[in-house]
Amino acid sequence: MAQIFSARADTRLRLAVIIGLAIAVLAGAAGFAHVRSGAAWAIGRPAPQPIPFSHAVHAGGLELDCRFCHSGVERRADAGMPSAGTCLGCHDRVWNVTAQFVPLRAALARGTAVEWASVSRLPDHVRFDHAAHTVAGVGCESCHGKVEEMPRTVRAETLSMGFCLDCHRDPGSRQVTAASAMRPHGLQARRHLHYGVEVSPLTRCSTCHR
Amino acid sequence: MSAPTLPRHGPDPSPEPAQPAALLAAPHGTVERRDALKLMGASFALAALGGCDEAPEHGHPLHAPARASDNAASAEYATILELDGLARGVLVRTRGGHAVKVEGNPRHPASLGATDIFAEAAVLSLHDPHRSRSIRRGGRPVPPAALEAALASLRSEVTARAGQGLRILTGPVSSPTLAWAISEVLAEFPGARWHQHDPLADDAALEGAMRAFGQPVATVPDMARARAVLCLGADPLGGMAGHLRHARDWASARAAGRPPRLIVAESAPSLSGARADHRIPLHPAGMEPFARAVAAALGAAPPTGDETHPDAPGAASALLAAGPDAVVLAGRGASAAVHALAHAMNARLGSTACRQLPHPLTRPEPMAASLADLAAGMRAGEVSHLLILGANPAYDAPAALGFEAALRRLPFSLHLGFRQDETARLCTWHVPLPHPLEAWGDSRAFDGTPAIRQPATASLSDQARCEVELLAAVRGTPVTARAAVEATWRAAWTGQDFDARWAGALEGGVAGEAPAPLSLPLREDWDRPSPSPPAGLAAVFAPDPGTRGGAEAHEAWLQEMPRPLTKITWGNAALMAPSTLAALGLQPGDEVELELDGRRLLAPCWPLPGHAPDCVTLPLGGGRRAGGPVGERRGFDAYALRPADGAWHAPGLALRPTGRRAPPVTTDSHHRVDAAEALRSVPPGGALPQPGRDASLHRDWPYPGHAWGMAIDLDACIGCNACAVACQAENNVPVVGPLAVSQGREMHWLRVDRYHHGAEENPAASFQPVPCMHCEQAPCEPVCPVNATLHDHEGLNVMVHARCIGTRTCSNNCPYKVRRFNWSDHRRLLDTPARNPEVSLRPRGVMEKCTYCTHRISSARSNAANEGRALRDGEVETACQRACPTRAITFGDINDPDSAVSRAKDSGRHYAMLGQLGTRPRTTYLARVAEDEA
Repeated sequence: MAQIFSARADTRLRLAVIIGLAIAVLAGAAGFAHVRSGAAWAIGRPAPQPIPFSHAVHAGGLELDCRFCHSGVERRADAGMPSAGTCLGCHDRVWNVTAQFVPLRAALARGTAVEWASVSRLPDHVRFDHAAHTVAGVGCESCHGKVEEMPRTVRAETLSMGFCLDCHRDPGSRQVTAASAMRPHGLQARRHLHYGVEVSPLTRCSTCHR
Repeated sequence: MSAPTLPRHGPDPSPEPAQPAALLAAPHGTVERRDALKLMGASFALAALGGCDEAPEHGHPLHAPARASDNAASAEYATILELDGLARGVLVRTRGGHAVKVEGNPRHPASLGATDIFAEAAVLSLHDPHRSRSIRRGGRPVPPAALEAALASLRSEVTARAGQGLRILTGPVSSPTLAWAISEVLAEFPGARWHQHDPLADDAALEGAMRAFGQPVATVPDMARARAVLCLGADPLGGMAGHLRHARDWASARAAGRPPRLIVAESAPSLSGARADHRIPLHPAGMEPFARAVAAALGAAPPTGDETHPDAPGAASALLAAGPDAVVLAGRGASAAVHALAHAMNARLGSTACRQLPHPLTRPEPMAASLADLAAGMRAGEVSHLLILGANPAYDAPAALGFEAALRRLPFSLHLGFRQDETARLCTWHVPLPHPLEAWGDSRAFDGTPAIRQPATASLSDQARCEVELLAAVRGTPVTARAAVEATWRAAWTGQDFDARWAGALEGGVAGEAPAPLSLPLREDWDRPSPSPPAGLAAVFAPDPGTRGGAEAHEAWLQEMPRPLTKITWGNAALMAPSTLAALGLQPGDEVELELDGRRLLAPCWPLPGHAPDCVTLPLGGGRRAGGPVGERRGFDAYALRPADGAWHAPGLALRPTGRRAPPVTTDSHHRVDAAEALRSVPPGGALPQPGRDASLHRDWPYPGHAWGMAIDLDACIGCNACAVACQAENNVPVVGPLAVSQGREMHWLRVDRYHHGAEENPAASFQPVPCMHCEQAPCEPVCPVNATLHDHEGLNVMVHARCIGTRTCSNNCPYKVRRFNWSDHRRLLDTPARNPEVSLRPRGVMEKCTYCTHRISSARSNAANEGRALRDGEVETACQRACPTRAITFGDINDPDSAVSRAKDSGRHYAMLGQLGTRPRTTYLARVAEDEA
């Protein structure tokens, strides 16, 4: 009876298995690298906005304070987006000839909302409170990057859970103003030991998730 | 003290839980999911709103208002919602311009901060995709100009006849502005007439007041003052106007240690009957003899013959003992003679615990007679043009009246309604009515307190017209609802600063004071005994606690919420005493044919402990034939059997088994906990033994900051379900549909268990709301293979949906059975503007449960921290706590010894449900105070 498998069949099989495994490992590594990279988190990709607004001009060139437009950032969970009235309050007087403001004028006339596109929106199950962070001394640029250099607003950080936790585990590193580091009613003040292990309220699930 | 009767669950008549036949065909829920999707879609899907286009692929819309305003992202509006024409004040929370939650307005006398299930469901109907959006003629959409032309030709035709032939039919009207609009039409067309229709109206109360005082007054009890309350079919805690107020007053009086003795005589158990200190099941025919016997014992009526009800002397002596703090209330279903007897008894007692107030309705009248008058006119050809404003007589008029056939023959009939309901289908014209949360208006509360209704959200239908706007268009002098309401109140507030008063009324939600009580002498000829009705099987009609006569039948939250006493969902059943059921040789769930005066109806029968024998309660509000998939064909339509005069009970009911089974879907057998261990009661002033802490080798977890806990006072709970619906609204809890409910897959995070104590003929009932217990030694936590449920630093048992792999071991190990598993993906249908954006949606295959409203805790904590202060007690209110009419639920920080929840937990009535398991639940209970009835 003739041999079914040649003498090299074993070698080929081993080679195929090794190559297969290598491809699987490589694919896994590539996938891992991709989700860790900025591209998967839309870093650097601008969102379509109702008007071609430039932070570089307003925050950079004119040095407007962030709070001029995002007025709730120190008081509310949402930082707040500028209303059409806020924009046109200045632009009725300066740079008021352009047709770019048509969406804003229309919103003002109809009393409808201006739909800005958020580039830093967190997922549904995360509760982010701007006021809690600014009051605790976290600067805007810690999460939003150097907005004043962005002609078109883009995401600067992944805003992944890992990104949040890096800071929540070691808040001191990102705090701009040291005075606000340990506020009496902030969560940071509630660190405690249990069986010698430090428990920080800042890293508990329910602190950020809902 | 006699041997305590152990609490027990309701009837579990069949060894197998009752299940619809369809379940057998689809064991794995394939049909069920499609059904559920349909229902959910009907409840939650929302057609695209103007300005809310599809979200772009990247970047999510942030809605900035057109003009700078500080609280545009989230705002609360004080407004009102009506029930039977009477207002309850609410606060509507909006996010990004969408109404997402209704809560009670603490400043409004009919709410005091609480809500009922119907108010909670208002956001659901607001976003209902099956609401009517366009003007229709003959069922086809037409442009608004066609309506204007039709109204113009109506005007010219009717003017030629000085208004003859024009009739207006409304629901009960307490709105001053609508009354003005109607009076303007009647003034312009003198031959026109206005009728009112309310299937749940209590015409006998009006007639009784006329007999007693000669004028239509409303009798309003003061439950805080009363020491003894005799209810003759009245349900002050549930179905009566002002029920939220009465429930609050009743609970505060109990909490203050001066409990009003509640004596309830009724045929079908109500919420008041369930919490009565003494309950007397009475056949409807026995109500008047009983009332007369009590009145005779009080000396308010001539003595009756020697036959007297055995309970009458006891009730009379309880009333006499309370003296002027006693009050007798007659309710729906009691005859005019009983209402007059109640007035006479109050007069005899010199009762200061009730007030006679001018009737809050603009024109109180017997509604059934008003509708019958209209129907007779229609049949006689006297009606050429009929405007039906916000009523649905084609469904909820008694079928015996023949209103449908008469309506069909009218040359011009216009229906103004929120849905394309049964009446809309028969009318030549249909005009959409805006939702109460979208439109301007005004109304009066049960005590006459006026309030202005302001829109909390932009109208989702641009063709919708208010009643006032339509009536103005009929007169040819168009006016907006806002202008009309402003004009009404400008006239009412002459001589005052209108703008300030108006702003105050809108901000506070109350537009004035309640009218002063009237002091009226009893007339001489008040006592006109009714002929005694024949004995035998009687039909008793009652509003369904979930669908409220059918008007709320399209609210999926309400359909799926188990009815307080029967635990029936998605339908209704002919309810009768277990003894009657047995005497008729029926099994629970058997289908029977009911016959009354030749009218027939098929219905499943179901036992209800405590129901009076020899009568059958037929809940009104099932079997809708139009209006949307949620409410259509759920249960049977009891209006088909109701006598033409709208009577609340009728003798001569015949009942025949058909031999088929049609069991209703009930949750009575779901999530059972051993009743003897779950529920405790103490005698008045008594205390429970407080067990010490279990010994443990492990050190306790420290909670250096806050430690959240909840205490639920079972003595205050009236089982109204407001907490459960509020939880559903707040936490985006999905609706699963009848089939999934029958499989035990309902998703309610908070259930209200009902227990009966004592004999089946007349048991007492207890209610126990059961949310997640947030055990400190939670049995669910160690069994999770992926650590998806764990404790946080404030003692919350948190559920990480993203980690959950759906083994359901946690639910198996939970002794309280409060964890719910997502058998289907409900996210797509929940993700609408109606959802609460503060609470994430859960995917398929994960567990979910009560979170103690952790989002409310977070936002309160942030607010306090941002202001640099500590959290105040009472600053965090859970949704269930906020809704509760009796303030049975207390929530707060148990680390703070002065917090309300700590004080509640220090009470002698404090106990932990299944505390012997050592779970150390954070949610604990205060035992019910039960008088030991010798």
